[in-house]
Amino acid sequence: MNVRAPDTPGARRPSVSRAPRRPWSGLAGAPAAVVLMVLAGVVAEVGAAAAWWAPDVLPAPSDLLPAAARIAGSPRFWQDALRTGAELLLSCVFGVVAGLGLGVAFWKAPGAGRVFEPYLVSFYAVPLVLFYPIAIVLIGINQWSVVVLASIMTAIPMTLNTWTGLRAIPPVYLRLAASIGCSRSQTLFRVALPAAAPYVVAGLRLGVAYALIGTVAMEFTTAQAGLGYQVRYLYESFDAVGMYAYILVIVAVSVLLTAVLEIAERLLPRGRDT
Amino acid sequence: MSPATAPPTRDGCRVTAGSVAVAVIAVIAWEIASHLSFVIPEPLDTFLALGRDLGDPRFLAGLRETLLAALAAFVLAMLIGGPAGLGLGLSRRARVVFSPIITMLNGIPKIVLYPVLLPVFHLGYGSKIVMGLLFGLFPVLINTAAGVREIPDVYWRLARSLRATRWQTLTRILLPAIRGPLLTGVRLAVSLSLVGVVLSEFFATERGLGRIVLSAYSSGDYAGMVSTILLLIAISFALSLFLWRLERRVR
Repeated sequence: MNVRAPDTPGARRPSVSRAPRRPWSGLAGAPAAVVLMVLAGVVAEVGAAAAWWAPDVLPAPSDLLPAAARIAGSPRFWQDALRTGAELLLSCVFGVVAGLGLGVAFWKAPGAGRVFEPYLVSFYAVPLVLFYPIAIVLIGINQWSVVVLASIMTAIPMTLNTWTGLRAIPPVYLRLAASIGCSRSQTLFRVALPAAAPYVVAGLRLGVAYALIGTVAMEFTTAQAGLGYQVRYLYESFDAVGMYAYILVIVAVSVLLTAVLEIAERLLPRGRDT
Repeated sequence: MSPATAPPTRDGCRVTAGSVAVAVIAVIAWEIASHLSFVIPEPLDTFLALGRDLGDPRFLAGLRETLLAALAAFVLAMLIGGPAGLGLGLSRRARVVFSPIITMLNGIPKIVLYPVLLPVFHLGYGSKIVMGLLFGLFPVLINTAAGVREIPDVYWRLARSLRATRWQTLTRILLPAIRGPLLTGVRLAVSLSLVGVVLSEFFATERGLGRIVLSAYSSGDYAGMVSTILLLIAISFALSLFLWRLERRVR
């Protein structure tokens, strides 16, 4: 039926489209990032030693790293990390499945897509955390209120990117699929989705990043457990070293996740071509 | 709330009507849900709570503080992110050095840095403006840089052959060429600055709507809580919808 994808000029959005890049370009700057981080550590150490600021403002890295190591060995840390990790994983799974489904549905029924588009664009990821107080009233202060909102945050970039990617498929692909008698599911899974893969993978990267940002932000607002919750708890109990150690862990996890997703995004679409 | 930039075609009107219908259905579902669960305030009570709050000088002071902080954060994000993105887009060397750092910083859940900002910028406007700036900065910076990088080479040759000055190249060629990505960045920065400010207020602040939401939550005033959240969402929704329509027209 939908042999031709509607060619709307508004379909191309730089925030969701994938810039054509070589897989390893840009990684040349990684040493610069390391140098900058080491430099920041040295400044923090010297500043704390020279008492440029009070020790509870920014503790010296030489105090921070042993504290971080101690915390990493405590069962409490692993409970929180597991909680945050489970929330993140569930949100990503639900969000990606829902986003893929909606993206395909909107491609099949463009009218429905255009009706929902203003909401998807306006709630693009982060503003949804403002609904968190409503979610904790409805669902309770538990992991599910975080998972529900973080799943929606993941689903929105997935939906928009899948839909944009499917609309950008050259019509000849679909005509080919029709002419060799592909079934509907073959057309979708063997032709359409692989052709839209670069967009889908970009959406996946954005979705996972937003799930992490949303999960931590919601735990930070109010929760019973989780890495974000610990930062707030330690802040309120004036444990600056412990708080910084948790912040350091969250930053490290997010940097790692960003790097993995970035590299995956550069590798996957290439693998499809060759 | 549909801005005047809506395409005047019949098809466009039908889509807009469909979007409005979705909102109406959502309110009806909300009304039904409010009868099923006692924690859900009725839509009418929520609107009345908003009317009550808008007559309260403390609420208005909080609204003013939140909006002013978000505006300041947005303006700073544009003033810093725009030129920085321009520099990043124009210089290959800057891109190689800084883009991994920017990608990494962009992926950090920045709200956890709020306790770090508090002792430096204090509880008032300072800390939340800086947090709003951190939220809003990256979309402007990244979209501007991407826009500049994707300018076709022929535009630069045109500027050279016309012997345009640097200023003319910037205002007559560069800015019009990147207006699409720039608007995307502006749209994301507007709502993200507001979200950054409100999330900061959820954590710790003296005044502001985020604090009002949480105190309504802890006192069980769910109608007041939902109405304040919906006011914030409506502000961010209206602004980003307007900018999104503008973006589509500009392309």
